[in-house]
Amino acid sequence: MARDDDARRREQGKFHALLVATGAIGLVIVGALVGGVVLLSGTVSTAATKQHFLLTHRLLDAGLHFSVRESADDIEAPPLDDPALVGRGLACYDQHCAQCHGAPGVAPGAAALGMLPIPTSLAHSAREWRAEWLYYVTRKGVRMTGMPAWEYRLSDTDLWATVAFLKVLPTLSPADYAARSAGATACGQRETLPSSATEAVGPTLLRQYACHSCHVIEGVVGPETYAGPPLRDWARRAYIAGVLPNTRENLERWIRDPQQVSPGTLMPDLDVPAEHARAMARYLFSHAPPVDAPKGPT
Amino acid sequence: MSRRRAFGAMAASIAAVGCGAVDPPRVPGGNAERGRATIERLECGACHVIPGVRGVRSHVGPPLDHFRQRAYLAGRFANTPEVLVRWLVDPPRMKPDTAMPAVGLTETEARDIAAYLYGLE
Repeated sequence: MARDDDARRREQGKFHALLVATGAIGLVIVGALVGGVVLLSGTVSTAATKQHFLLTHRLLDAGLHFSVRESADDIEAPPLDDPALVGRGLACYDQHCAQCHGAPGVAPGAAALGMLPIPTSLAHSAREWRAEWLYYVTRKGVRMTGMPAWEYRLSDTDLWATVAFLKVLPTLSPADYAARSAGATACGQRETLPSSATEAVGPTLLRQYACHSCHVIEGVVGPETYAGPPLRDWARRAYIAGVLPNTRENLERWIRDPQQVSPGTLMPDLDVPAEHARAMARYLFSHAPPVDAPKGPT
Repeated sequence: MSRRRAFGAMAASIAAVGCGAVDPPRVPGGNAERGRATIERLECGACHVIPGVRGVRSHVGPPLDHFRQRAYLAGRFANTPEVLVRWLVDPPRMKPDTAMPAVGLTETEARDIAAYLYGLE
């Protein structure tokens, strides 16, 4: 009867769906197992001397383009033709960018040679990329490459100045560049926080100053390193560096000038402006209640 | 164990797959088990959180977990057995402004404590 046929078809449909679902889950599990074996075997090369497969390179490159295009979508470049702005950008370029990207007639520095991915020639990128994309990459960096974020070290004006200079860069001969960079003033340094900074800027700053290259820090993903002591439960600590009573003000003082507080300390001076030190100290203190705070359920 | 600690432990053991490549430093004349007892008796936990040690624990001084992996002592000195023993016996001698006092450890007690601490991977 028609109703029996319908019921049978529904049963078959359900069975097929179950089969497909099981197959899909099975594939995922097998894929994860194979991935695990490959990872633990250590056979995937991390050598920077071994080049990517062409397809890998193309995919990564395309991925970068798509991502930057999307992320920079709501950015609008200011006017970039003011010669003073371009001049300021040249100073920043010479100080910060040329060391990896080179310049007209100037080779990239030692750190960039042998890097994978290689820092591109910006004479090319400046012609092919929109100002907003150049700004975004300069400001935010590119993860898993040698390109750092400059957002917390350069003011917004200096970031756009650099972009303004990039747009002029492809027109410069080696002689032009040499002449202009000889007379360049120094690039500025950001003293404040970007206007986009939220309450959660603490961990970002700690990473931007490479604190996590020496310290395990609560709430920061990074290497499990014990060059410096772990920074957890900070509010409970009585001393900074074993010499200074642990208060917010003293912590800011320590961050900004460790040698002055504890001569001979291994902790370096990172040239941290007051506002950044304050944000980092605030974050570290927010992470555990002080000793005399009432204990809640854990 | 809280879930966060469990994840941490799992992550640490995955990370440790690559480690175990370095032997803990030897402390000549130091006995780790005796060292642990000494730490408990002298109540070093009155200032430090030390894994594996019973009794009081506090945050006056830095926690001493993963001590074997610590690169530096007191932020100033290389973390090696001879330097550590010297530090334990008389911290202010090495770092005059330190908050850590000399508690009158004998050389043997210091070696024992060092042996215990280097067992904290």
